[in-house]
Amino acid sequence: MNLLNRFGYAGFFLVILTLPAILDARWLTVGTTFLIFSVVALSEDIILGKAGMFNMGHALFFGLGAYTTAVLNSSFGWPIVTTLPLAILIPALGGILIAGPIVHLRGDYLLVTTIGFNIVFVQALQNDVFGVTGGPNGIFSLDSLSLFGKSFDSPLAVYYAAFLVLLLTLWVMRNLQASKTGRALHYLREDHIAAESIGINTRVYKIFAFGLGAGLAGLAGGIYAVQYAAVSPEAFNFMQSVLFFAIVIVGGSSVPGVLIGVLVMFVLPEVFREFATWRYFIFGFAMILAMILRPRGIWPAKFGRVPKYLLKGEHHGG
Amino acid sequence: MDTFLQQLVNGLTIGSMFALVALGYTMVYGVMRLINFAHGDLVAASAFVGLTVYTQVMGGKATLAAVLVIFTVTVLVIACLGVVLERVAYRPLRDAPRLSAVVSALGASLVIQNGIMLIWGPRMLVFPGDLIPQITWNLGGVVISFIQLLILVLSCVLMVGLYLFVDKTRIGAAIRASSIDQDAAKLMGINVNRIIMVIFIIGSALGAIGGLFIGLYYRGITFNMGWQYGLYAFVAAIIGGIGNIPGAMLGGLLLGLFNALIAGYVSSTWADAFTFIMLIGILIVRPTGILGERVAEKV
Repeated sequence: MNLLNRFGYAGFFLVILTLPAILDARWLTVGTTFLIFSVVALSEDIILGKAGMFNMGHALFFGLGAYTTAVLNSSFGWPIVTTLPLAILIPALGGILIAGPIVHLRGDYLLVTTIGFNIVFVQALQNDVFGVTGGPNGIFSLDSLSLFGKSFDSPLAVYYAAFLVLLLTLWVMRNLQASKTGRALHYLREDHIAAESIGINTRVYKIFAFGLGAGLAGLAGGIYAVQYAAVSPEAFNFMQSVLFFAIVIVGGSSVPGVLIGVLVMFVLPEVFREFATWRYFIFGFAMILAMILRPRGIWPAKFGRVPKYLLKGEHHGG
Repeated sequence: MDTFLQQLVNGLTIGSMFALVALGYTMVYGVMRLINFAHGDLVAASAFVGLTVYTQVMGGKATLAAVLVIFTVTVLVIACLGVVLERVAYRPLRDAPRLSAVVSALGASLVIQNGIMLIWGPRMLVFPGDLIPQITWNLGGVVISFIQLLILVLSCVLMVGLYLFVDKTRIGAAIRASSIDQDAAKLMGINVNRIIMVIFIIGSALGAIGGLFIGLYYRGITFNMGWQYGLYAFVAAIIGGIGNIPGAMLGGLLLGLFNALIAGYVSSTWADAFTFIMLIGILIVRPTGILGERVAEKV
């Protein structure tokens, strides 16, 4: 594990940094989206994996960030960079407000309510609520990234911007893991009654997890809007939430696991694009098989140092 | 007033279809604590199987015998598919973390949905209109068609039958025991694997009838319609209190009525949003659904 921390991440960053040199335009787009989806999947992991709340509406926060950037830029003329802080804040606030009344719901009921919020959100976008979301077509021809009067409009610049956001997310995840909050979330997920009985305010931490996850997803959404210079409702529908949900579970709720999850669930289907009609048929079987072979995910998370003799039942999680 | 009564009739019709499909979700959840996301796609598959049986096997002749054969064959095929689904996608994950089974269910849903597309193509197919006699009655301004009456009566019979089956028979008692405590049920000599198979047979069969009703009532069927109807039926099961059989029936009828009234009085472009706002509202007030049991948490 220590070896991985030292060389694994360094190797991964090196690959990400040099990859654009060998990618053509189409694969650079896939690469950028891979980085953005990794951020969203990691932020979903905070809610679903770390805090153990069945959130199947994560595309809502992703979309809220993207639409914040798009609306501020197209309707109010803000430069893209200045919209990004709000693309974090508004989804984070949205996450807290949505989570407030529903976090006490039992697992599957929470899952359905988050699906519900996602569907309400997409339908509101499609009906052009407040007259700024552009209806079913969305908003297009946004400005490109610019900083200090210099414009960065190449796809390469967006790729590195997305990489920066991923680095920021990894830093947040690392600190979370090693902090009091991270431990509280972990206990909460293992057994929330036990957590409460040792003085952890579970309600506050659950809402906090939603706020943090939503904020990071929102930032990723802002970059996503920049990448395509456009946003549209169906990019954030409930099927997208299902994808992020499945990525975390198939990958296994650790940082390497989630990254592998994005690779398997998003990049691999792109590779097999030619087999358009058979692609998802086989993909479905692969999902079943992955879960049967690795029920805890491809790369399950480990937390802290637990002596081996305590782990004979291996009954944590789920 | 006439619109209200008319929407009431339409809503009850749609609601009983939702209820039939919702029973499949709720029975599986009751015993396995698993959201069977593939159930909606089985329902969609049943409409396609039914249509194929009609055009290919029965030669497209609309008789009472044809209708009976369609229903029997489709129900058998979908019940077998349900059993296969459980064997392949769920049984190997019986002891795995709960979310792994959920992802496996999502995978199974993709397989069935895309399987339908590979067999029958991506375009909408249309059920023949003359399969069921086109009779309508006008009762003081409220129009009821024969197919609506058929759906209402048949659903009612099936639901009462299911209720009696679960409440009065030995297998029903075993189903109830398995849903309360699987381990204790095993100790009492109940073969839980067999009970789960029975549940998948019954749930899929009811879903198949729901799917045929959807085909007969709406006529147009597409390969991906399973998600739409499945999600609604699932919401119905949740509203009633998932795992609770009368709850699923009540939830289905309520949801159907609510949908019809929204479509009739407000607007159809906001119908989904209103449905889910109602769901969220109900869950905030009653966190385990209307008829859901209050579970004391075990420490």
